[in-house]
Amino acid sequence: MEADVHNTNAPVENGSLAPVDRLRHERSDSPTPGLVEGTEPGAGQDSAMFVHAQSFEDLTADDGEQEQELSEEGTDGTLETQEQESGESRDGGGESGEAQDTQAEEEQEDEEAQSSGGRDKEEDVTSEAWRRHRKHVFVLSEAGKPIYSRYGTEEALSSTMGVMMALVSFVEAEKNVIRSIHAEDYKVVFLRKSPLVLVGVSRTRQSERELTRELLYIYYQIISLLTLTQLNHIFQHKQNYDLRRLLAGSEHLTDNLLRLLDRDPGLLLSAVTCLPLPSSSRDVISSSLQAAKAKSLVFSILLAGNRLVTLVRKKDQFLHHMDLHLLFNLVGSSSSFREGEGWTPICLPKFNTAGFFHAHISYLEPASDLCLILVSTDREDFFNLSDCKRRFLERLRRRSAYQALQEALRTPSYSVSQVGIAELRHFVYKSKSSGLYTSPEIPIPYQSEEEQERLMGLYQYLHSCMHHPTRPLRSIYRCGERENLLAWVTSGFELYLCFSPLGTKEQAMAAISKLLKWIRKEEDRLFILSPQTY
Amino acid sequence: MSSHRVDAKVVMLGKESVGKTSLVERFVHHRFLVGPYQNTIGAAFVAKPVQVGDKVVTLGIWDTAGSERYEAMSRIYYRGAKAAIVCYDLTDSSSFLRVRFWVKELQNCEEHCKIYLCGTKNDLVEADRSVRQVDYHDVQDFADEIKAQLFETSSKTGANVDKLFQKVAVDFNSTAFQVLTEEKGVDLGQKKDAYFYSCCHH
Repeated sequence: MEADVHNTNAPVENGSLAPVDRLRHERSDSPTPGLVEGTEPGAGQDSAMFVHAQSFEDLTADDGEQEQELSEEGTDGTLETQEQESGESRDGGGESGEAQDTQAEEEQEDEEAQSSGGRDKEEDVTSEAWRRHRKHVFVLSEAGKPIYSRYGTEEALSSTMGVMMALVSFVEAEKNVIRSIHAEDYKVVFLRKSPLVLVGVSRTRQSERELTRELLYIYYQIISLLTLTQLNHIFQHKQNYDLRRLLAGSEHLTDNLLRLLDRDPGLLLSAVTCLPLPSSSRDVISSSLQAAKAKSLVFSILLAGNRLVTLVRKKDQFLHHMDLHLLFNLVGSSSSFREGEGWTPICLPKFNTAGFFHAHISYLEPASDLCLILVSTDREDFFNLSDCKRRFLERLRRRSAYQALQEALRTPSYSVSQVGIAELRHFVYKSKSSGLYTSPEIPIPYQSEEEQERLMGLYQYLHSCMHHPTRPLRSIYRCGERENLLAWVTSGFELYLCFSPLGTKEQAMAAISKLLKWIRKEEDRLFILSPQTY
Repeated sequence: MSSHRVDAKVVMLGKESVGKTSLVERFVHHRFLVGPYQNTIGAAFVAKPVQVGDKVVTLGIWDTAGSERYEAMSRIYYRGAKAAIVCYDLTDSSSFLRVRFWVKELQNCEEHCKIYLCGTKNDLVEADRSVRQVDYHDVQDFADEIKAQLFETSSKTGANVDKLFQKVAVDFNSTAFQVLTEEKGVDLGQKKDAYFYSCCHH
C-alpha cells in the first residue's frame, strides 16, 4: 500500500508524448525533415488501430515507480558507473566488443543447460547452471508465497522468495520502495503490483527500466488469465492463498512470453508487424471481416503465425498492442486451438483489468497458419461467433481473396537484399503513429537461437539508450567487432540498423534515407494503411 | 448456448491431464498425438455426426479445460448438455476425487444430463497392472449408484473410444424420441390447465 502512496507523487509523463518529442526534434537536422508523426512511411491514413499510446514512454508511464527517484544506499553509485559503461560502448571501443563476446559465450553455455528439455523444472536450484541463466523471473504473493519461477521448481525456491519478500517489506517499513539492486554483473529488479511482487534477476545489458517493463508484461499475462478483480478478491479473503492452483497449466504461457521478450522486436518496440500483402487483397480481407460482424463483437483479428493480417475493431474501441501481444502469445504457445473452435475467457488488461472478454479462436484450416480471433463481450455468444467465422470464410472464398492470402503466406517475410543497400544486414523500422513495424528476415549470421538473441540484445541496448529516462538520445552509431549498429529516432519513426563490420559511418548515414524511400515505396504491402471498424 | 448445427450437446469434464482432449481427438480425428502435454485453454468445440441406425445424430462436443481457473466458467459449457463424459485417469486416484465433484455438480445443476464415467489410459494399465490406482468394481458400484455408465478407454490404442461415443449417441436418440412424445402429452395437459386457471381468474 505504501508503494502506491509513493507512486502518486511521481512525475507521470503526459499521456501523449509526441508533442514533447517534436519540440526536441524541431532543431534536429533529420535527413528527412518532413517526416513527423503521422506522415512517416507506414503511418495509417485514417485513424490508428491501437490505443494512442505507442511510445515507449507512454507504455511505462502507468508504472509510476519508473520515474520515482529512490535514494537507496549504493544505488546512485552503481547507476553512475553504468552510465560510464554505456558511454564507452557508444564510442565503439573494442573493449565493449570483447565484453559482448564473452557474454555471448556464456549465453551459449546457457542454451546447452536448457536444451535438455522444454521446461526443465527439475533443475537443481543450488547448481551453477541454474545460477548462470541470463534472466531469472520470479513471481510471489505479498505473503512471500512462490507463484512462478522461470527456472527450477517454486517449492525449491520458497526460501529464496521469502528473502525477496523480506527485502521488499524491509524497505517499505521505512516508507520507501525498493526498485533495484545492482551487483557486479547482475541487476535485480523489483516490481510491486499489489497483491503480487515480481522480481527479475538479469545478467543482460538491459536497463532497469526495460527489465521492469518485461516484468510488467508477466504481470499482465497473469491478469489476463484471472482479472485483477478476481486476484484482489482471492488475496483479500486468504492472504496465504497458493495462486499456483489457479494458474496451473499456464506456466508455458509465461515461459513463452519470456522467450518472446528475448526474441521478438515487437515487444521491445511496442509494435506489431504485418504479413506482407498487396493492399488490394488486404482490403478485401478486412472488408470481409468487417461484414461478418455480430452485436457482441469488439475485435476481429486475423493472424498469420506471429504476423497481423488485419484487425477490425468496434468504432471507438481501441486495442492496446500489449493486449495484442498477449493474444499472440496465447495463440502461439498453445496447440489447443487446433483441435476445434476454442472458446475462452480472456481479460485484456490494458483495456480493462476488471472483466473478461470471450474469445473465439480457431484456425481457418486445420494445417493453416491463419488464425482468427474474435473477441466478444458475451460469453453465451459462441455459436453466433462461429457463424461469423463461417460467413467470413465464405465471403473470402467467393471473392477469391483466400488464394491471394495463401500465396502471401508462402513469403511471410522478405530478404534485406531487396532493399539494395550495401553492407546492410538487418533493420527494424517502426512507424510511431500506426504502431506497426517492419523488419526483414533474420540473415544467415544471426539465424541460430543464440545469435538471434544476441542481435536482439544489441537492439535492446540501443533502444534503452534512445529511451533513457533522463538523457534520451536521438541517434547512436556503434562499431563492434562483429557488426556496426545505427539507431535513429524522430517523432515519426524509430529505426534500428545492423551493418556488417566492413561498413562505414557515412554509408550507414546514407542508408537511412535510402531505406526510408524503399519503405515508402513498399508501405502498401508492409503496413496496414487503412484500418477498418465495424 | 444452443445451435441448429448440433443435435446433442456433450460435455467433457474431469481433472486436468486425464486425457479429455486426447479422447476427443481419437474419436473425431482417429489419431493420438504424441508430444509434450498441452493443456486446453478455456474450451474447444467440435461437431461430429454419428450414425445411429438409419439416422444421423450430430454430437456437439465441448472439450473443457481441467484447470481450476476455468471452474467458475464451467457452467456455460455444461448448461443444457444432454450428456457429460466425466473422465478420470486409471493410474491416478486423485483424479477420481474430481469425478465425484463433477457428478455432484451435474446432479445439482443439470438433472437431465446423462452421465458417462470414463477411465482413461487403459493401455498403461494393460501394460502393467500395478499402475492401476482406481479399482474397476469400486467405480462400477459408484456408477450404479448414480445411474451412470462406465467405460474404460485408451485413446492411444483407440480401445472403447468409439463405443463410448456411439453409446452416447444411441442413448440420446432414444431419449430424444421419448421426450418428444412426452412433451406432446404435457402440452395437451397444459392447455387444459391454462384454460382452467383463466376460468378461475375471471
